[in-house]
Amino acid sequence: MNLKKYKILSTSKETADDVFLRIETDINPQPGQFVQVSIPGIGEAPISTASCDENFLDLNIRVVGNVTKAIGNLKKNDYIHLRGPYGRGYPLVDFKGKNIVLIGGGCGVAPLRGVIKYLEKHRKDYDEITMFFGFRTPQDVLFKDEVAVWMKKYNFNMSVDKSPEDNPFFCPVGFVTQILDQTKIETKNTEVLLCGPPIMMDKCVEILKKKKFKDSQLWVSLERHMKCGVGKCGHCMAHGFYVCKDGPVFRYDEVKDITDE
Amino acid sequence: MGKILDKKDLKCFFEKLQKIGEVVAPVKNENISFKPVKKFSEVCFEGRSMFPIKKYFLPTKEAIAEIKNDAFVEKNDFKKRIIFGARLCDLNGLLVLDKLFLDPLYPDKIYAIRRENTILIGFACKEPLSDFCFCESMDLKDYYDLLITENNEKYYVSIGSKKGANLVTEYKDYDINLKKPVCKKKLKNKNIHDFFDEKFWEKDALKCVSCQRCTLLCPTCLCFDVADEMNIDLKLGTRNRSLDSCHSKDFTLVAGGHVFRDTKLKRYRHRVFHKIQYFKDKFEIPMCVGCGRCMEFCHSKIDFVDTINNLKK
Repeated sequence: MNLKKYKILSTSKETADDVFLRIETDINPQPGQFVQVSIPGIGEAPISTASCDENFLDLNIRVVGNVTKAIGNLKKNDYIHLRGPYGRGYPLVDFKGKNIVLIGGGCGVAPLRGVIKYLEKHRKDYDEITMFFGFRTPQDVLFKDEVAVWMKKYNFNMSVDKSPEDNPFFCPVGFVTQILDQTKIETKNTEVLLCGPPIMMDKCVEILKKKKFKDSQLWVSLERHMKCGVGKCGHCMAHGFYVCKDGPVFRYDEVKDITDE
Repeated sequence: MGKILDKKDLKCFFEKLQKIGEVVAPVKNENISFKPVKKFSEVCFEGRSMFPIKKYFLPTKEAIAEIKNDAFVEKNDFKKRIIFGARLCDLNGLLVLDKLFLDPLYPDKIYAIRRENTILIGFACKEPLSDFCFCESMDLKDYYDLLITENNEKYYVSIGSKKGANLVTEYKDYDINLKKPVCKKKLKNKNIHDFFDEKFWEKDALKCVSCQRCTLLCPTCLCFDVADEMNIDLKLGTRNRSLDSCHSKDFTLVAGGHVFRDTKLKRYRHRVFHKIQYFKDKFEIPMCVGCGRCMEFCHSKIDFVDTINNLKK
């Protein structure tokens, strides 16, 4: 099983549904990879990593099931069991010298935070960095402090589906597809990294293709329940691909026909 | 080529195996099933077991770790075992399981220990054991330590490995060609990439009742689930691995409630594609070994070989 016990350095509540954990660990994932998080007696869940190349590991966890609920109750100095990292991340090394566009929706922004951390470390190797992030409401915005910084440093675009209360970010209200549609993006020498709910990714791909992006410029992260994480248990298999091992990040042309399988 | 034994030799050989470890062989009661066997007379030399030998490597349910004081203690079982009398289809089923569980990048420790400590001795089929057998179409490999072929009260033992050769050094050699069984049933089309469209699978999917017998009895169906089970005091427990089925509706359920293969058709088609196409694309051998159990024991008598043979654009 290869599970190891690690100490939690800090926890915080990102939104009403999300908790953020910083864990002391030697697990050093590439952006886009995931780890298996275990709570003895409750179970195991695959969680994508939100940091890169550090002495610690950041995880943003949306509390939706039994395991994530138990993770949400953990506190600083508690221990957590991890194994990994697993899967194929975003091949950022191959994108040197290129423009990078990041498109994320909801908790799909968490793995892209790992990408941003990587790009910040290797800023000189990359050209323009553009982001399109969408959240349900201003209260659901992840990494609020960092968002304020990203707004200043990069071509940052953000939208919220609705804004029933204050909108401290003064961002447009609507789907992320709308701001993507309305913004001019350079297609030449550009790679687009997407992560979010399947319907959001499908719609964004449609818009990007209208903007003359090729399938081979788009990189999607597929969502499946990886139970073993190592290409055996079969739960994440989609059209012959083990999403846990062959993905979760795929070049869009590899998987364009199988998103609903 | 191999070694030749007469009936008396075979009995002695069986008794020798008893000293090496637990001998598991097919036994006939209501059905034929593999069981630990002590006496040579108990072994059934005819027919095919209903349940494949995968249960000795991947039990239906087992604890893979103990949960103690909020931590995991890995479990490893170690038992010398001889599988005596498996058919070539089941042995090839193990070849499929080995490809995944002995993958050098992520080997499965529990499986690897069992595999290492098992000797595989097969019985060759002289003729197909059921009307549903189509192993001839699946290009089975000689995957065994020893394979015994009976012919006129003589037992011809083919050697498949060093481990096997060491067991039969004292017997005489033979040098004849042994006949392989000819199956009436054939799988004519082994490349079904072009037939993913729903219309090709509608008829079968309508009949399927998702009872999961096909996946349970398949020698290569290995999909599993992992879940923790705690004692009533919530202090001690186990992390269990149990066989799962891609025919179950929740198989592709993700957090938030979305189910990817949400129709019976998608689930049925996925299994057929995995068996015939997907695995072959990755590992160069099909996942199906042609034992025919999934059709013979299907609640609704779905014959996927027939369906594939009749696929037309």
